[in-house]
Amino acid sequence: MRRTLTFILIVLAAMSVPARATVNVVTTTPDLADFVRIAGGDLVKVDNIVRGDQNPHYIEVKPSYMVKVRSARLFFMVGMDLEKWAQQVIDGSRNSSLEVVDLSRNITKLEVPTRLDASEGDVHRFGNPHYWLDPRNVPVIMDEIVAALSQASPADAATFKANAAAYVKALEAKTREWEALMKPLQGRQVITFHRSWTYFAAWLNIVVAGQVEPKPGVPPSPSHTAAVIDLARKGGIKAILVEPFYDMTAAEQIAKAAGAKVLRVSTSVGGVEQARDYLSMMDYNVRTVAAALK
Amino acid sequence: MTSQAQRALAVLLLCAATGAARAQTSSNPEISVIPRLLIFTDDGATLDQGKRKFSRPEFQFQEIEAVFAGYLNPYARADVVMALSGPDIEAASLGLEEAYLTVLRGLPLDLNVRAGKYRAEFGKLNMMHPHQWPFITQPAVQARFFGEETLNDLGISASVILPTGDVYSRLTVDLLRGLSIPNAAGLEDTTDESQPYAASGRLMGFFPVGDDADLEAGVSAYTGVHDPYTGDNFWYWNADFKYRYRPSSYTSLVVQGEYLFNTREAVQGPDLVPFVDDRGNPERRSITSGGLYLYADWQFLKVFSAGGRFDWSQSPYSTDDAATGFSVFFGYYPVEETIGLRLEYQHMRTDVPGGEARAVNFIGLQTVFSLGPHKAHPF
Repeated sequence: MRRTLTFILIVLAAMSVPARATVNVVTTTPDLADFVRIAGGDLVKVDNIVRGDQNPHYIEVKPSYMVKVRSARLFFMVGMDLEKWAQQVIDGSRNSSLEVVDLSRNITKLEVPTRLDASEGDVHRFGNPHYWLDPRNVPVIMDEIVAALSQASPADAATFKANAAAYVKALEAKTREWEALMKPLQGRQVITFHRSWTYFAAWLNIVVAGQVEPKPGVPPSPSHTAAVIDLARKGGIKAILVEPFYDMTAAEQIAKAAGAKVLRVSTSVGGVEQARDYLSMMDYNVRTVAAALK
Repeated sequence: MTSQAQRALAVLLLCAATGAARAQTSSNPEISVIPRLLIFTDDGATLDQGKRKFSRPEFQFQEIEAVFAGYLNPYARADVVMALSGPDIEAASLGLEEAYLTVLRGLPLDLNVRAGKYRAEFGKLNMMHPHQWPFITQPAVQARFFGEETLNDLGISASVILPTGDVYSRLTVDLLRGLSIPNAAGLEDTTDESQPYAASGRLMGFFPVGDDADLEAGVSAYTGVHDPYTGDNFWYWNADFKYRYRPSSYTSLVVQGEYLFNTREAVQGPDLVPFVDDRGNPERRSITSGGLYLYADWQFLKVFSAGGRFDWSQSPYSTDDAATGFSVFFGYYPVEETIGLRLEYQHMRTDVPGGEARAVNFIGLQTVFSLGPHKAHPF
């Protein structure tokens, strides 16, 4: 009898604990999905739209993305006009209760243009949006994610905060390790395909001397390639950073002519095999660049 | 009024005007201007003289579109497309191609409601403006069954996403003024009687096929009065599909096709020519006819694409009058889609009942440029 009573009490106690609802989240990029997964743990269900090997600037608006967003509670985006396609996906999802969170809100922005003109190429009017490649910006991103998740599920706010804090601590330790690795290489020059590495370079004090593309979004031309070869030769530049979704032809031509090396580095989780999550992606990127610049 | 009061009033007006200007700036619509220019030659003009000779290449402004688009409020957006149509663009007057309001959210069942003048969702091609096509010439089936203006009418539409789980499917229904088909046939309504509305609808589904490919398939129907003088009805049934395979950022293959099936009763053909039987007596005909197009477009480098299209179409009024043709086309887009150059060769053979078959060859070079922002492409 006593055992039965105890069992009933346990069952009743379990029933009185409010069931934890999973927060459905969609992010634009896999990096943001990684951050949400870390902060939310098993209290969130995360999906992302862009794959790591896709260029997040140019995404065709597919109905399958709208299906993902349709059942989501939160939509996290990099912002700063990186995902110009996002509003069409959001509108197409017809999700009236969706909360859209622009994670760039509190980021210190670089390369904010003073003049907007199509002659300058595909310039982002709010500044360079590739801020997640500086790990010092990750705590800012995590704060926004934790705030949004906590609002969606207030009962789990402490868990989200604790998860994020533990991750930020681990990331800070890795950041110091990466900085130490790159310290002897400060001031070294690199060439990048696109202006994706501005924050990364500013963090590690390396210099982006030029780009393979003449202007943002404009394919390499023979005359510009010749000018970059000249730049690489004169500057003794050893590394050309190219994301997996860009064509290697012009970069390889420059590398061959200037005695440099093309580095297939990733701006997003899943872009290369080694980039399983944000930490492994950054570790791979930093070590690859360091090895080439030595 | 004292000079001081006048000055205060002027300052107030200036402040109000500045405020209004600022408010206007913050809610200005996105404006794009998209001209289409064409240089073309064909060998059709001299066929009546028994000769086959390409004409002197002719420069032609096909159209200039001005697009104004933006959100009206958090629930709705508006799109207005004004067009100057060629070929005599200097003498053309600005026409309204589309002007519609779309309520995006806030309605029961997550309905989207569109009202105004717009290209109805009938098939896949009808929603696309010609500058979005990978080719220059209009597919014969669309030209013959809808005319150059396509299914673009005043009306109201409602669409709902169906509860099909991870598969995106959508049902759209339209109630339309019903003038597209009579106008395309040259049967403009001069009767004083009010005509019945037309109705159309489309059911579509979207199916991812692996990581790099997607398939969209749809069926559409459209019905209304095609002859305002007799009140005769028509039914159009349409099946469409689009397949896209994108193995990398720089390469993609699009295969798209549509089949249209038409049924109608008619006592006269286009331009009020009455049908007569073998003895010359007036005749009412039951007509079933159809047409199709199928194209493939292969983007083989970031800036280059090439493709081909097959056309076959009967007439809305006859199965004896058929057009069959093919075209090959090549596209060059040097910087995204701000500038596009398209080269097309088309061979189109038309079999006219009781007449001689005519085969016309067309070669055209089209330039399209887009001034202003352009949205990401829908699938």
